[in-house]
Amino acid sequence: MANRILLVEDDERIRVSMRLALEDEGYQAEEAAGGEEALEAFARRPADVVLIDIMLPGMDGLDCCRALRRVSAVPVIMVTARSDTHDVVAGLEAGADDYVTKPFMIKELTARIRALLRRARAAGPGSGPLVLGDLEVLPDQGMVRRSGEEVHLTRTEFRLLCELAANPGKVLSREQLLERVWGYDYFGDGRLVDVHVRRLRTKVEQDPANPGHVVTVRGLGYKVVP
Amino acid sequence: MSAAASPLRLGRQAHPSPLGSSAEGTATARAVPRPGVRSHLRVRLGVRARVTAAFALGALVVSASMAMITYAAARQSSLGEQSAAVLRQAYVNAALVRSTLRSPGPDIVGLLGSLDSVPGSNSVLYDHGRWYATSLGVGQDAIPAAMQALVVTHGTPAHQYHPVNGVPQVEVGIPVPEVGAAYFEVFSLQDLQRTLRILALSLAGAALATTLGGAVLGRWASGRALRPLTEVAAAAAAIAGGRLDTRLETADEADLAVLASSFNQMADNLQARIEREARFSSDVSHELRSPLTTLATSVQILEARRHELPERSRQALDLLGAELRRFQRMVTDLLEISRFDAGAAELSLDEVALGEVVRQAVMATGAKDVPVEIDPGVAALVVRVDKRRIERIVANLVGNASTYGGGVTRVGVDARDGQVRLVVEDAGPGVPAEDRSRVFERFSRGSGSGRRGGGQGTGLGLALVSEHARLHGGRAWVEDRPGGGARFLVELPASQL
Repeated sequence: MANRILLVEDDERIRVSMRLALEDEGYQAEEAAGGEEALEAFARRPADVVLIDIMLPGMDGLDCCRALRRVSAVPVIMVTARSDTHDVVAGLEAGADDYVTKPFMIKELTARIRALLRRARAAGPGSGPLVLGDLEVLPDQGMVRRSGEEVHLTRTEFRLLCELAANPGKVLSREQLLERVWGYDYFGDGRLVDVHVRRLRTKVEQDPANPGHVVTVRGLGYKVVP
Repeated sequence: MSAAASPLRLGRQAHPSPLGSSAEGTATARAVPRPGVRSHLRVRLGVRARVTAAFALGALVVSASMAMITYAAARQSSLGEQSAAVLRQAYVNAALVRSTLRSPGPDIVGLLGSLDSVPGSNSVLYDHGRWYATSLGVGQDAIPAAMQALVVTHGTPAHQYHPVNGVPQVEVGIPVPEVGAAYFEVFSLQDLQRTLRILALSLAGAALATTLGGAVLGRWASGRALRPLTEVAAAAAAIAGGRLDTRLETADEADLAVLASSFNQMADNLQARIEREARFSSDVSHELRSPLTTLATSVQILEARRHELPERSRQALDLLGAELRRFQRMVTDLLEISRFDAGAAELSLDEVALGEVVRQAVMATGAKDVPVEIDPGVAALVVRVDKRRIERIVANLVGNASTYGGGVTRVGVDARDGQVRLVVEDAGPGVPAEDRSRVFERFSRGSGSGRRGGGQGTGLGLALVSEHARLHGGRAWVEDRPGGGARFLVELPASQL
């Protein structure tokens, strides 16, 4: 069963060429020319990965991603025209798991898709429940509870929390986290980790500004307080 | 003379400098001497000094002539009055002498006591060969011999002005021949002289004060007159320094308002033009991205099916693919450099182990078997840098070495004097001394005919190296590698944790 990819891109030529390339790589690609169309298509039939161009007419890519996030934890890759911090961070803040910059190499894009699919399938480091104060991480069930209530995390956020929680008190560098969570080599972007940690904190921390679970170790990385 | 009198003032929004990157420190940025600036300054100061001097000189001439005229007139009239008074008194006294000596048994001492006298005047009486005086200090000796002879012997009245021991005095001699006597009066002008001296001093003081006042007035007036120019100069310097939004406040005075508004008009045009130019390359690169994405994706689809193509199509596809990738790099580099031009380049600082970043970046370029020598002092050094830019620096220098220098032979990282240094060496033809700053300019390919493989680069690699280094507050340059080849160096301040 081929993995389904939803392509949200307004430029028809780019869209068609991407569909052809993805189909050559063995994926089943569905096209959407705009944000609303994409949401409808996803509601009709959920995809395994969604690629969203950040600049769309009407509902833009960021809004589309946020809307998608409200209904699903599906892996999202943002396609940006610029690698500026502003666009990249905005895309990640909107809930994207990763990003690529135009013009991209198909190999780079498919590597990211594969990594996301692996992450979506893997049930985390196979271990029993981990308890961190009011947090309860259940890697097997892909579930996190805070004070007994379930917290909805994207898969990337969940993997990030599991990696940190599996090594309580130990500092993990951005590079280590990129490798373990995103499955990338050294050349991933540290901003991916920073933005995801920030988003994770808004969901699991009492006071995200003064985190009690996931803390920053200046100059080194992040750790979970046991 | 307060600062509030200033008709024009600088208005400036608190924006960071959009062109502020023209700082010191890189191979591309050279301080071009601007002879005009210095001489312009000298002329301006000269005008002020000249106006000040002219005011002072004018004040000096006017006040000095007034003082001299005043002094001369005062002296003339005081002397005349005094002389007339003395003469008048002398004749009155001479008449008294005549009438007294005519009477029988004259009382000469009583006569001397009864003579009229103003302060400072002394009477000397000659009577039949004998001299009498009203004061001990002023006697026959006080009358010059010539005058004695003239008055006593020839019976001619005389009157002369003549200084004695630096004190001017007036002597009047009147013969009284009827009784064989002569009357002399000696009048000291010491008081008058003192008064005149005080007057002269005051007049000189007044002249000096007027001259100083003139100088101060001249300085103030010239400063005031030149202040709009000073402010225009400051605003122009600010614009030249990169603060393009510097403007002059329009003044109330009509002729200054014209200056300010035309200056602002010029600055508006300049700013618009610079911003348009900076935006243009950014816009172009952006617009190129969409077609480029389609092109790149389509070529990659074809490349995946390369084996299905006939030989000639394969060759064409290879050419297409290679040029497309170069085009893609060029657009990326252009976009990057246009961010520098637009002042939109920002450092995204991270704490990283520099040695490791460099090692990984070299590996990522695919340059095999390149010795990466990391100084032991740097191995554990964590610095705050923009990791992506460091990676670009390494990639561009390694790319440059393989395009022009036959491949990189050594990469080194060391630290000293609070700076970290990246060294990239090749064993190629090297860079001639006259090209060493030019190679860091955009689209410069060097003049050396020995440079080969020019078709691979984007022409922006070294320019970007220089810009990235400068953004970090560092610099990039090239020197000879001992043993032949080029040695490119990038020095960055090591802001440690």
